[in-house]
Amino acid sequence: MSTTEYEGVMELDIEGIEQSALHQVGPTEMETRDLSVWFGHRKVLEGVNISFPKQTVTALIGPSGCGKSTFIRTLNRLHELIPGAALAGAVLYEGQDIYDGDVDPVHIRLKIGMVFQKPNPFPSMTIRGNVLSGLKLSGMKRDNHDDIVEQTLTAAGLWNEVKDRLGNAAGDLSGGQQQRLVIARALAVQPHVLLMDEPCSALDPASTLKIEETIRELSKEVTIIIVTHNMQQAVRVSDYTAFFLAEEGSPGHVVEQGATTEIFGNPQEQRTLDYVNGRFG
Amino acid sequence: MSTVTFDPASLEQLQQQKSTRPWRKKPTKFTASVSLAVVIPALIVAALFVTSDIPVPILMVVIYLPLQLIASAVAALITRGTRGVADSMIIVNAIGASLFSVIVLASVIGSLIVRGLRALSPHFLFQNSVYISPSTPLDYGGIGHSLVGTLLIVFIASLISVPIGVATAVYITEVRGRAVPYVRFFVQAMSGVPSVVAGLFILTIVVATGAFNQSAFAGGLAYAILMLPTVARTAEEVLKLVPDDLRTGALALGSTRARTVLRVVLPAARTGIVTAIILGVARVIGETAPLLLAAGNNDQTVVNPFGSPISSVPTYIFNNVALPYPDAVARAWGSALVLIILVAILFTLARVLGRGRVSR
Ligand SMILES: Nc1ncnc2c1ncn2[C@@H]1O[C@H](COP(=O)(O)OP(=O)(O)OP(=O)(O)O)[C@@H](O)[C@H]1O
Ligand SMILES: [Mg+2]
Repeated sequence: MSTTEYEGVMELDIEGIEQSALHQVGPTEMETRDLSVWFGHRKVLEGVNISFPKQTVTALIGPSGCGKSTFIRTLNRLHELIPGAALAGAVLYEGQDIYDGDVDPVHIRLKIGMVFQKPNPFPSMTIRGNVLSGLKLSGMKRDNHDDIVEQTLTAAGLWNEVKDRLGNAAGDLSGGQQQRLVIARALAVQPHVLLMDEPCSALDPASTLKIEETIRELSKEVTIIIVTHNMQQAVRVSDYTAFFLAEEGSPGHVVEQGATTEIFGNPQEQRTLDYVNGRFG
Repeated sequence: MSTVTFDPASLEQLQQQKSTRPWRKKPTKFTASVSLAVVIPALIVAALFVTSDIPVPILMVVIYLPLQLIASAVAALITRGTRGVADSMIIVNAIGASLFSVIVLASVIGSLIVRGLRALSPHFLFQNSVYISPSTPLDYGGIGHSLVGTLLIVFIASLISVPIGVATAVYITEVRGRAVPYVRFFVQAMSGVPSVVAGLFILTIVVATGAFNQSAFAGGLAYAILMLPTVARTAEEVLKLVPDDLRTGALALGSTRARTVLRVVLPAARTGIVTAIILGVARVIGETAPLLLAAGNNDQTVVNPFGSPISSVPTYIFNNVALPYPDAVARAWGSALVLIILVAILFTLARVLGRGRVSR
């Protein structure tokens, strides 16, 4: 096969790249140091060092099974819920290791919110109840619930579709609407970091664009880490990109990371070039 | 290359279209052979029923079922070839088996109605049995006191066994502590405790020690022992069905384990938990032996759960059904009918309550 066949893929959104390049690099919000992760005796990630500057969007890309979800779940201490889970190294949030003995995981998860690949609204609650569920579950006090519901649903691009039926069951929404609902739910507790694991994989192109707008908008206040298989999406929304890879039989690791413009425009590694151009994975 | 265009029917024609179900059309051969397969065995059995005096159950199982199997197989062979034969066997057997259970249930209820209906009347439900002797005609007296007793005892048993049972299930599925295998084994073993043993146990440690009289409370304790395993095991099964995504989702919002269970997992499983409770109640409500031992008997209406022995519907039935007075026996059957209706009401209630799924 000739390389020209991939030129279509190479036509990236230059405007987006230029915009993200303009983004100021701020202080670091989160950072991992030599992070390795195990499921039982199987090491699935090795020596991951990434830092996430405040109020930026970082895209995690890489082929299926290379450990992106596993990585993202170590960042808010969800990984430890799996029996047999283990890790080494450190995850720093505002300079503190979140795995320190005296750190309360509940507190960490409140600051570091998450949106999952599969929408998981609470079936026993209404749409409104779902948006506010984080407040109830974490015991957080915030006034003006009506405003919170409207703001977060608007931010998630769902307000117009549900404003007349906030009292309906969340399960009555379509899959894409449910996903936007759980994004609103995650925003209602005002996290400082938002982890998103392929948040758009169940969405149509229009909702995807809405979510991407939301991500750009949110990144003015929140640090966002997003896993995506969609290269265009990575280019459109992220300032930084980390490319994960698990080579045959060995644990996943970061092959290359840096500004999104660099990773997509001028990667240093052949494997990165191949991957972002769709040549494997 | 020329394009083939499809000439659409005129709008008028389209508007006059009638909806049909083409997949329901069957070949004539099919209709004919299937109706023969239904009619012939039924006719033969009807004829035998009239001419001979083979008992009906034997007639149905030994003659009708094989006949029907053969007839359906032949019909299937004609219409669908050999492939249809196995299908027809399965269908006939499935219908036969479901009919069988419906018939069993119907005949139980039927016999209750035949023998007990004449005892039923408003006063039968509301009056108690003070001044009533076994020979008193049906115009007087009732099982109001037994109904109150049964409800009180079941209520007490639920009050004890539901929280413990659900908590046990939560321990097994949510806390997943180290003792889970032992707890599960214990619950399983408990479901094997014969009801009379539960009654004896309470009689020995609660009544004989003088801690409490024979009473609704003591009866409720005995019932609770029997209810607990059913509630715990059903609730466990139901909690297992709650997807892990919901638990992770709640935890990711900064929820504690306890809040996750109380606000997300249990509400998501609410219908199932109600079912667990109902199954527990249904398990015990007819148990007689534990109440004979732990609750005793009384002709008066008792509402104090601790004070004195108390009547209940099963013990009332037990005490009356073998008496040599037709009216007393009718009362016993009538009570059994009431008991069954009570269970039916409970199940319906569970359905209705379980339906409202969403809360704020
Ligand atoms: N609960 C688990 N128990 C054991 N192994 C697991 C578990 N979850 C993931 N793994 C393993 O860890 C590795 C990384 O999985 P992970 O889900 O992180 O991949 P991913 O990069 O998110 O893939 P995808 O793009 O398909 O979502 C895989 O080899 C997977 O088999
Ligand atoms: Mg994944």
